[in-house]
Amino acid sequence: MAERLMTAVVDRNWWYRLRAFINANLINFFAGGLFALLAIFLLYPIVSVLVFSLWGDHGFTLDFYAEFFEYNFYYWSLINTLILGSSTMILLVIIGFCFAYLTTRGPMWLRKPLKIIALLPLAAPPYIFSISLITLFGRNGLLNNLFQLNFNIYSWTGVITAQVLAFLPLSYMMIENVLNAVNPSLEESASDMGASEFRIMRSITIPLAAPGLLKAALLVFVMTIAEFGNPAILGGRLPFLAPDAYLMITGEADFNMASVLSVVLIAPCILIFILHNFFLSGKGYTTIVGKPTAAEPRPIDPAIKIPFLILCIPVAIMVLLSFGVIVFGSFVKIVGVDNTFVIDHILNTQSNIAIWNSFKVSLGAGLFGAVVGTLLAYVIMRGKFHGRKLMEMIALSGFALPGTVIGVGYIIAFNRPPFLLTGTIWIIILNCVFRFLAVGVEAGISKLHQISVEIEEASADLGADFLTIFLKVILPIMFSAFVAGFIYTFMTTMMSLSSVIFLVTPGYDLASVYIYLTAQLGELGLASATTIKVIAIVAVSMALLKVVARKTGLDVKKQGA
Amino acid sequence: METSKTIMLELKEIYKSFGRVEVLKGISAQIAKGELLTFVGPSGCGKTTLLRIVGGFTSATAGRVILDGEDISNLPPNMRNTKMVFQSYALFPHLTVAKNVGFGLKLQKWSKKKIDARVEELLALVHLEGLGNRTIDRLSGGQQQRVALARALALEPKVLLLDEPLSNLDANLRMVMREEIRNIQERLQVTTIFVTHDQYEAMSISDRLLVLHEGVIQQIGSPIDIYERPANEFIAGFVGYVNFLEGRVDNTQADTHSLVIATEFGRLELDHTHPDIRPGDQVLMVIRPETVSLAPGDSSEATNTFQGIVQSQMYAGSLAKYTVKFGHKEMVIDHYNPMGSRKYGKKEKVKVIIPRNVHILKRQATT
Repeated sequence: MAERLMTAVVDRNWWYRLRAFINANLINFFAGGLFALLAIFLLYPIVSVLVFSLWGDHGFTLDFYAEFFEYNFYYWSLINTLILGSSTMILLVIIGFCFAYLTTRGPMWLRKPLKIIALLPLAAPPYIFSISLITLFGRNGLLNNLFQLNFNIYSWTGVITAQVLAFLPLSYMMIENVLNAVNPSLEESASDMGASEFRIMRSITIPLAAPGLLKAALLVFVMTIAEFGNPAILGGRLPFLAPDAYLMITGEADFNMASVLSVVLIAPCILIFILHNFFLSGKGYTTIVGKPTAAEPRPIDPAIKIPFLILCIPVAIMVLLSFGVIVFGSFVKIVGVDNTFVIDHILNTQSNIAIWNSFKVSLGAGLFGAVVGTLLAYVIMRGKFHGRKLMEMIALSGFALPGTVIGVGYIIAFNRPPFLLTGTIWIIILNCVFRFLAVGVEAGISKLHQISVEIEEASADLGADFLTIFLKVILPIMFSAFVAGFIYTFMTTMMSLSSVIFLVTPGYDLASVYIYLTAQLGELGLASATTIKVIAIVAVSMALLKVVARKTGLDVKKQGA
Repeated sequence: METSKTIMLELKEIYKSFGRVEVLKGISAQIAKGELLTFVGPSGCGKTTLLRIVGGFTSATAGRVILDGEDISNLPPNMRNTKMVFQSYALFPHLTVAKNVGFGLKLQKWSKKKIDARVEELLALVHLEGLGNRTIDRLSGGQQQRVALARALALEPKVLLLDEPLSNLDANLRMVMREEIRNIQERLQVTTIFVTHDQYEAMSISDRLLVLHEGVIQQIGSPIDIYERPANEFIAGFVGYVNFLEGRVDNTQADTHSLVIATEFGRLELDHTHPDIRPGDQVLMVIRPETVSLAPGDSSEATNTFQGIVQSQMYAGSLAKYTVKFGHKEMVIDHYNPMGSRKYGKKEKVKVIIPRNVHILKRQATT
C-alpha cells in the first residue's frame, strides 16, 4: 500500500498538482477572502462614518462636532439618550434581579411561569411594546377609555416603559446566570449560622453577584441607547440620538451630522467595552466549593417574597397584556374606536408583501451569514497566521455596535463607487449578515472547541488530504453550528429595524419598517397584524433552534437582538 | 522474544526543538517486527513528541525515521503506513461505528462489499459485533477505545501507534483493555509503539520499554532489565520503591565470586556479577524493599546483617510494611505474605538482612 501512495507522489498529473495546491493553500484562501469581506462590509462603513464626521467640503474640520455641542437640539438629544439609558438600566437591574431571584430561589411553582414571562419579549421585536402601549394608553387607548384617563404615552414614561419591557429578557438572562453561579451551599451555610434571608441576600448573594450585576447593567445601557424603534415611535417631540441620525439622513440628507451623531452613539459603547475588558475581566467570583447539592430549596422569607412579587407582577402583567393587545388589535377594526371583529388587517396585501420581502431578505442573510460565520470560526480556530484575534474582534464588532451606526455607515459607504449598492436588496442582506455574524462565529468556535484537533489528525493518519478532511469531516461536524448561525441570523434579520430603515427604498418595505411606519401613522391594526406574523415566524425559528441545540448539544447563546 | 529480529522501524539520531527548548536530544532506537515497545517517562519527557514524529504529525528538527527499510522522514501522515490510536480516540462524531472503522478503507477506494466484510471482521476482533450502526455518542469509553483500535488496524499498518490509550478509562476498565490490546497485538503480530506515563502499565504490557527522561533515553530493555538491572539511579527510582545505600568496594574475591563493600553501617558481601566494578570504586546499591528480610534480636554477627529499630509498621494483609532505622538511615522493608509469621512492633530492635544479589550501580567519584 505504501508503494501505491508513493507512486501517487511521483505521478504528478495536473489534477494531482491542482489538488496539492488547494490542499496547501485552502485555509489561506479562506482567510484572505474573509479578511477582504470583513474589511469591505464592516471596517469600511465604520471608518466612513468616522471620516464623514471629520471631513467637510473643505477637508478636515471639527466644525460638525462644534455644531453638535453648540446647538441645543443635538445637545439635548445626547442628554436625553443618556437619561433614557441610565434610567432604563437602573430599573432593569432591579426588576431583573427580582425576577431572577424569584426564579432561582423562589417557590418552585412560581419559577417556570415567571421565567417564561421574563423571556417572552425575545420572541418579538423590541418595538412591539410601543404599539401595545399606544393601544392601551394612546389617545383612544383601551385603558385610557376604560378608566377615563388623560394619560399621554408619547412621553418619557412611555419610552422608558417600552424600553424596560423590551430589554427585560437581556437583563434577566444575565442576572439569572450570575445567581445560578452562586453556590447554594454558601447561602445555606450562612443560614445555618443564623443569618436571616434578608441578611443572606445583602451579605452573601448580592456581593457575590456584584460583578455580574455590573456587567448586566452596562450591557443593558449600551443596548437601550442604541435602540431605535421605541424612542422614535413614542418619543414624540423628545430628541434621541438614534432617531435623530435617521432624520438627518432622510429629512435633511446631512451625512456629516448623521455621522457625528453616530460617533457620539459609539463612544459610550467603546467606553463600556474598555471598562468591561480591562477593569471587569476576571472580577467574577467562581464559587465552586464541592458539589452544589441544593435539591430542596430553602423556603423564601415573606419579607422578601412579597415586595419582590409586588414589583414583578405588574411587569409580568404588562408583558402578557402587550402580547394580548397585539392579538386583539390585529382583529378589530379600529382599536378603542370600533372594536368589531375584522380579518382585513391580517389579509392586508401590503403587510403580506412586507412580510414576504422580509422573509426573502432574512433567508438570504441567514444562508450567507451561516456560510461566512462557519468559515470564519474555522479559520480563526485552526488557521496559523497572525491577526486571528483581530479577525475575531472585527467579526464580533458588528454585534456590539448600534444598528443605527452601521446603517449610517452603509448608506455613506455604498452609495458611490466602487461599491454602489444602495437601492438594491443586497445592501440590506449584507448589512444583516455582517451585523449578526457574531452568533454564527461563536457557535462555530464553540463547536470546534468541542472537537479536538486529533480528529483532523486522525483523518490525515487514515490517508485523507486536507480537501477530503474539510469536506468529509469538518463540514459535517460543523453543520449544527451552521444551522444555528442560519436560524439566528434569519430570526434577527426578520426583527431588525434600526439599521435596515436607512437602506430600504420607498416601495420596497420590510416587515419591521412597515410596522414602524404604520405605527407612526397610528394604523395600529396593520402594525399589530404585521407584528403578529413576525412573532409567529420568529417563534417557529426559535423552536427549530432549540431542537437543533438539543439534538446536537450545541450551546447557542441567546443574546438580545 | 520468539519473533525474528527483522527491524521494522528505526529511529536515527532524532532531535526536536520547540523554539529554544530542546525536547528530544538524539534519540536512536530499533523496533523489531511484531514487538510491542513502550515509550515511558514522566510528563514532559518528550515521549508523545517522539510518537508524533513517527506518525508524521510533527517533523523532527534533525534525524531520520526508517520504516521497513524506507526513509519516511519527510512524508505527511496520510502517506505513511503507520496508524495512530489517539488519546481522545478522535472518533468522527457524525459517523457510525462502521463508517468510522471503514473511513480509511473508503479513502483507499475499496469496494463497498469489501469494506463491509473487513469492518465486520475488525468489529469481531475488538468484540463489538453488531454495534456497527451505533453512533459514537452511544458508546461507552471502553467501546470507543475499541472502535479507535479497529479503525487504526483496518489498513493493516506496519506500525501501530498508541498515544496514552488507556488514560481516559477508569481503573478496572484500564486493566481489561490493557490485556485486550496486548492479546490483539500478539495475535496480529503487529509492530506497536505504546506511549504511557504509567510505569506499571508499561511494565505489564511491553516486550521492551524505552524510558525517556529530559529528552534522553535512560534505558531500553525488557521489564525484567528495567526492574532488576536498572542502568542508573533514575531508572531504579522510576519503577517501584527503592532503598539506596552508598558504599565503596573493598575487594573482590574471584574464588567465591564475591564482592566486599564497606558501608558506614558495616561490611556487605555481595554476588560479583558486575564485571566492570573494581576495588576502590564508589557504588550505589539498589535495594528493593521486598528483598530485605527481618529477624528478631539485637546481635549482629552474621554477614550482611545490620542492627536497626522499627520506626513504623503498617499491616495491609498481603504485606506488612516496616520502616527500620539504623544510624541516620531509614530503610523501607516489605514483608510479603506475613500471615502466621512474626510481626514487629514499633521501637522493637530487629536485624535487617540484605540479600547477596543486590544490584550495584557504579558512581562517578564525587569527592
